[in-house]
Amino acid sequence: MALVKVSNLCKTYYKGDNKIYALRNINFDVEEGEFVSIVGKSGSGKSTLLNLLGGMDTTAEGSVSVGGVNILTMSEKQLSQYRKFTVGMIFQSFNLIPSRTAIDNVKLPLIFSNYPRRLRETRACELLYNMGLYNRALHYPSELSGGEAQRVAIARALANKPKIILADEPTGNLDTATSAEIIALLQMFNQKHHITIVMVTHDKETAGRVSHKTVLLSDGEIIKISTNPNP
Amino acid sequence: MKASDIAILAFYNLRRNTMRTILTSLGVAVGIGSLAAMISFAQGITENISLSMENNDIFTGLTATSRAIDPDDPGSSRGTNILSQNKEEVPLNDSVISGIGEWNEVAIAFPIVSKPATIQLAGRSVKASLKAVPMEMGGYPPFINITRGRFFKSADEPRVIVSRQMLQQMKILIEGESDNVGLGGDVLVLPLDSVIGKELTVVTRVFDVSKFSTANPRKNELPLSNEYTSLRIAGIIDNGAFSSGVFNSSDVFIPSKAIDYVPCIDLRSIYDIMDGKIDSKNKYGSVHVRVKEHRNLKTVKFWLEEMGLQVFSVGDKLDDIENLFLMLDSIFAAVGVIALVVSVLGIVNTLIMAIYERRKEIGIMKSLGGTQFQIKLIFYVEAAFIGFVGGVCGVAGAKLASQAASSFANTQIGKIIGCNLEFFDFSWTLALAAILFSVVVSVLASVYPANRAASIDPLDALRRE
Ligand SMILES: Nc1ncnc2c1ncn2[C@@H]1O[C@H](COP(=O)(O)OP(=O)(O)O)[C@@H](O)[C@H]1O
Ligand SMILES: [Mg+2]
Repeated sequence: MALVKVSNLCKTYYKGDNKIYALRNINFDVEEGEFVSIVGKSGSGKSTLLNLLGGMDTTAEGSVSVGGVNILTMSEKQLSQYRKFTVGMIFQSFNLIPSRTAIDNVKLPLIFSNYPRRLRETRACELLYNMGLYNRALHYPSELSGGEAQRVAIARALANKPKIILADEPTGNLDTATSAEIIALLQMFNQKHHITIVMVTHDKETAGRVSHKTVLLSDGEIIKISTNPNP
Repeated sequence: MKASDIAILAFYNLRRNTMRTILTSLGVAVGIGSLAAMISFAQGITENISLSMENNDIFTGLTATSRAIDPDDPGSSRGTNILSQNKEEVPLNDSVISGIGEWNEVAIAFPIVSKPATIQLAGRSVKASLKAVPMEMGGYPPFINITRGRFFKSADEPRVIVSRQMLQQMKILIEGESDNVGLGGDVLVLPLDSVIGKELTVVTRVFDVSKFSTANPRKNELPLSNEYTSLRIAGIIDNGAFSSGVFNSSDVFIPSKAIDYVPCIDLRSIYDIMDGKIDSKNKYGSVHVRVKEHRNLKTVKFWLEEMGLQVFSVGDKLDDIENLFLMLDSIFAAVGVIALVVSVLGIVNTLIMAIYERRKEIGIMKSLGGTQFQIKLIFYVEAAFIGFVGGVCGVAGAKLASQAASSFANTQIGKIIGCNLEFFDFSWTLALAAILFSVVVSVLASVYPANRAASIDPLDALRRE
């Protein structure tokens, strides 16, 4: 059975009397260990879909079942458990807490998950080391380059060993070379550590190259799902 | 998640806005401080002042005088009797006085017996009143807890107790108690040991039959001569400026039976001479009554007046003083409550500001799996910390301020009363309770902001830049 099964997912925003159909009848699966890309023009509903997958938003019709459980019907408590242990989110704008150092940012989810305090420091260092950021641990986000900041964000997303990484245009704020680095990192985690990845991007070419499955969205509808058996 | 981890998150936030944290805490400090000051003042007044005043015989003592003594009293049995007294006057004799002593509200009642005398000690002399002290008085001020020497052992012990003030009048000082300021020269300093047990001479006047033929009444000469009685000093009391109207610092005290050993003309009223005989109906001129509690004073006064006695007490004034304190206390209470309300609003305001500033941060925390309770806990801990710091500072400030106010008040009031009073009762219990209260109130103030923070929509928070 697929790890993630999206069925008949519809999302409507109401702006006054205007209805915006952000997602219309979305159906697709994500297998365990898959690298899935969601591509499409700006405003096509990519972020809306990813946020529904991430349990950040539950107000939609249809169902998003992860490991057999529909997250759209989860309680607030179950949702935070889900966000803590099942998924790790990465954003275009990194979303690091600016007042905290890199290592403190990585430790934050470990605090929420009750990770043993003695081991927290070690775990955070290990994660930063794996991201090649060992010497940036005590830097504040403002002292980091875009690529470094995004790698801290990835380390933070991986802290509680999630099954799925959800990345919303992780390279959107980065130059080409750095983007390639980040994509390579994600690909490495996918291949070496078998972490399932769902990445939103508008770079169709890269998406097609690195992912097993590319979902093309347009106006809230899936118009094509292409596969690549050997990314 | 352990509370200590949340505490760390909370402290980060507090440190980020040090100035605001300080100001908010200061607000709490003012509120808690004035509230604590108010409570300690209320406690101080009831516990210390009222009690010390009530325990002092000045506020529990009544002196009832037979109208027969006072010819100026219109109701006097020997006065002009124009406004005739309709109350039957009860004679002041031993059985009546011991009857008064049996009243439930009365602690002790005894006749006031005194003999005018000149006291001679170490070659100095002073005019004084030799005053009879019943043995029961050993349990009351100024005779309770005599530190220099002791109280009488029996009612007929031929010893006296003098006051430090009287020795001072004779320019006799006790070694090591240096307060000879303003006494001028000729001061005699004696060690305490040599004063206790020292013999003094009581000089009294008695009728001298041998002088009856020689004294010339037209020259106002009286047929009197001196009588000398030697008595040892049992102890020295220090009754300050306090005087009950019975036992004054210008008195020399002697046990109630021993006073009979000292011969002295016994005229209680000038009318005794007019009448040519000593009033036999009233064995005593006046009686001193101590009530058990200050609140009994009015009742006992009323009953004594019903007995046809003329009653004098300073204790009536105590109610006025207590009313004044009560009024001051209400002002404090009002200030305290207003300050507390303002400081609670300060906390609410600070935390709501924090929500706006940290909106995105809260969104991030939620996206990382932070639960609503965890987010709330951060706010609770922040508020608790502000409350704790504010509480500690407030209590410390209130303690200092109350000490300052107390010592200032003592320079004013203490001078009149003659001893220092504790206006504030600042117990450890109060301090701890105030700090705890501050923490609890602060956490309660944070409930609304915390709930708002916890219910932030993470998506909405993250979307905003
Ligand atoms: N909070 C919102 N309120 C109203 N409309 C929204 C909201 N968020 C997104 N939309 C609309 O939904 C559509 C899809 O948006 P989004 O998922 O952000 O697109 P993408 O990420 O592909 O650029 C857009 O038309 C956008 O205007
Ligand atoms: Mg988007």
